[in-house]
Amino acid sequence: MTVRLSRRHVAGLLSASTALGMIGLPLRRAWAAETITVLNWQGYGTDEKWALQAFTKATGIAVQHDYYSSEPEMITKLRTNPGAYDVAVVNSARTQQLQAEDLLMPLDLSRIPNAVGLTPALRDNPNIHIDGKAYGCAWVWGYNAIAYRQPGIQTPDSYKIFQDPAYEGRLALLDDATNSVAIGALLTAQDMNDPKDLTAVSEQLKAMKKNLKLLWSSEDQWNKGFEAKAFDLAVYWSGASVRSRRTYKLPLGFTAPKEGAIGWFDTLGVPSSSTKAEAALAFVNYMIDPAFYVEWATKVGAPASANGSAMEKLPADDLNRTTHDPALFKSMQFMGPLPDERRQAFADLWEETKAFYAR
Amino acid sequence: MQGELAGGGLRQARSGRSLKRAMPVWVGTLALLLPTYLWLTLAIFLPLLGMLVFSFLTKAPFGNAKPAFTFDQYLAFVRQPYLIDVAWTSLRLALVTTGLCMILGLAAAMALKQAASGRARTILFMLIILPFWTNGLIRIFSWTMVLREGGFIDMVIRAFWPGAPSIGLLYSEPAIIIGLVHGYLPYMILTCFISLLAIDDDLIDAARSLGARNYVIFGKIILPLALPGLISGAVLTFVPVIGCFMEPRILGGRVGVTMGTVIEDQFTSAFNWPRGAAFSFSMLALVLVVFALFSSVLRQGGIAREDG
Amino acid sequence: MTHVARAFLLGVLLFLYAPIIVMVAMAFNASPLYAMPFEFSTRWFGALAGDAVLIDSTRNSLVIAVLTAVIATILGTAASLALERKRFMGRAILRILLLPPIAIPWIISGTAMLLFFFWTGIGRGFHAMLIGHVALAIPYVVLVVGTGLKNVRVDLEEAAQSLGSTPLHAFFAVTLPLLAPSIAAAALFAFAVSLDQFVISYFLATPGYSTLPVQIYTAIRKGFTPEINAISALLLGFSMLAILAFVCLSKAGGTLERR
Repeated sequence: MTVRLSRRHVAGLLSASTALGMIGLPLRRAWAAETITVLNWQGYGTDEKWALQAFTKATGIAVQHDYYSSEPEMITKLRTNPGAYDVAVVNSARTQQLQAEDLLMPLDLSRIPNAVGLTPALRDNPNIHIDGKAYGCAWVWGYNAIAYRQPGIQTPDSYKIFQDPAYEGRLALLDDATNSVAIGALLTAQDMNDPKDLTAVSEQLKAMKKNLKLLWSSEDQWNKGFEAKAFDLAVYWSGASVRSRRTYKLPLGFTAPKEGAIGWFDTLGVPSSSTKAEAALAFVNYMIDPAFYVEWATKVGAPASANGSAMEKLPADDLNRTTHDPALFKSMQFMGPLPDERRQAFADLWEETKAFYAR
Repeated sequence: MQGELAGGGLRQARSGRSLKRAMPVWVGTLALLLPTYLWLTLAIFLPLLGMLVFSFLTKAPFGNAKPAFTFDQYLAFVRQPYLIDVAWTSLRLALVTTGLCMILGLAAAMALKQAASGRARTILFMLIILPFWTNGLIRIFSWTMVLREGGFIDMVIRAFWPGAPSIGLLYSEPAIIIGLVHGYLPYMILTCFISLLAIDDDLIDAARSLGARNYVIFGKIILPLALPGLISGAVLTFVPVIGCFMEPRILGGRVGVTMGTVIEDQFTSAFNWPRGAAFSFSMLALVLVVFALFSSVLRQGGIAREDG
Repeated sequence: MTHVARAFLLGVLLFLYAPIIVMVAMAFNASPLYAMPFEFSTRWFGALAGDAVLIDSTRNSLVIAVLTAVIATILGTAASLALERKRFMGRAILRILLLPPIAIPWIISGTAMLLFFFWTGIGRGFHAMLIGHVALAIPYVVLVVGTGLKNVRVDLEEAAQSLGSTPLHAFFAVTLPLLAPSIAAAALFAFAVSLDQFVISYFLATPGYSTLPVQIYTAIRKGFTPEINAISALLLGFSMLAILAFVCLSKAGGTLERR
């Protein structure tokens, strides 16, 4: 009896799994004439459904996505999947590293019509120009600065507030070595991309221990923590601060302190192994199109466009536009490329600081 | 080679006992082991061997990097003494979690055996596994809702005692341990329960009718029989917990720094694979040392089984 | 005693279900940030109905989890038989070799697999994910089935053989039925391991193919909506119904009894 039962079970299991396998098989849908693959963070502009539909309709090019969850992972995926990607979203601080490994092709910006509107500070930024060639098209930019709960906290004017005993247990820092080192460097008036005195940086960060409640690493964690009143004071991303205020109605203020904001910009690059560079450039052009940007920024919430003319299409009092004031370009430093040794030194410093926080 | 073995098995099955003696025992053993270990070799051992090689290099051999042979990555523990603190945190979390799981798991398995039988028992058995089928990340995020100030624990307490102070466990080591125990307790309950199935209730009744006290029954009958289950459960808890990183990151806040998070940082942020790999293999070594100590203690206590 | 046992079990179940109850409750809460006070809404289930990506990836997860459970259980049970029942050189080493898949953090196994599969031409895709998932599930199966095997007496099978059964028949007739609860538990574990696994899926999936845990993991960066809670709640509900139906319909209600 038992034997028969178990045999029937096994047969049942087998046929069930075959059936499931067959449902799983027709995964490939019929694609349009040409399909390009984009490598990006998930939910970061390039994969908006409405935008892709419009793009495919206009050009006949279909777009599919693969995602990464950290920059090293993006680089690993580019290395181990030659030919798989046609467009990659690359933090400009990583462009030189990728170019050194021949993972990106130089772009002829004159073949991207919308590139004429790009802000020169980004378009011609040394981060992405090597030997006079552009290895990426500036796409969006933003900065990391201070977010604070309103009402209750006066607009802070310095990162020093992170060490103010009045905010014991109310601080959330971004769990990111480069960003933390940058804050320490700015507090000690050093070059944030190459601070010479790392001990001073470390001391500044360690002085925040009493205030520190948690280290955040995702926008989701930030929003849920702020909503639950886990912290009142934090490092935050400019674009995310707009979403938090506009979409989730969180009561926060966002400000760049006098030491300076920590700027960054992302580019759209074409991997050197792509065989569909034409289609890729068409997509890049669409991604910096003011019409697309305005819809993205107002419907969903986006960082600032590298295309100045796109920013000007937003209403003058638009939160995104006021948060990303072009005047910032004059005072703000962008995160630059880091040689391996320095990156490792930053990582070690931050790891040691975190262990100090945990003690 | 595998085909040959399978053919041998078939022939044996068809002609029954006449050929049994002709086929050495080791062929059967090999046929049982080969699929699993070939699979593990392809998916785990060979890839990890690559990582092991990396851990002796100055940098990962990509692009223009010119890696050189070095022991440096393994010396990080000496150069950066704070890592010893971190390793101790991981070990402590793993020991406490495993200990709590063993106590709760064995008790729950005994309760399951005693309190229910037949269908009710099967249903309870499944109910214990079901939370496991929910994604781990979601479970951890849900714990933040339960544990935070003004969270569900506080709400329940305040329903009975208005104005009670907040428990506010979130962002502390107890919060990490609660999350970990929750994640691994089902393993322990089930492995203990499987072991307890072997206990004959008549034996316990007989012992009791002869006047044996409960603790004697527990010590002399239940514990020795439950031991294989406790050990398997402990392995399935201790080994993954020592490398955990999601629970410390999300539930631990400032205190959530473990070997798991350090290793993850080496891969996702510092981009130093050799160092990350060296840390993982050091951790594996630590696990093996703990096991060696543990099994020699068991053997000296005379309770280890014939295997080992 | 039975009352104490029942009360204790109830306590354990409450602990196990505390976050699950919260998860389900938040699927019905209007706030996308899990904000209190609770406000009943079915909007997330509505959103889920229109989210083809999430539904597709859930189906992919289930397919891969079922296949993983079947393959890992068969392979692992066989290996466990050899490791428990046979004596041979290197048995201790083979056992220790089961530890790396669970001891080495996923991110390292995942990276290692991605590189190795790239170098050897195995590549990425469904097959690669399955290889990875099964490998991670095997140690769980071997350990759990091994625990059960310690209780199944060898002499029963030997008795059957001395009465004329072939070893294979003796195994299927005597040992397998006694081992059924352990094998079932092992399969359920393997299923759970696969359903939870995101790092390896993440590294090995081809563009356009995704699983539920990967969706959850990547969504964290931007903020996942309670849609994720909704689909998890649905999965949980269906599993409960399936289990209830299985238990009520199967005549062998006492599979977990001692034989």
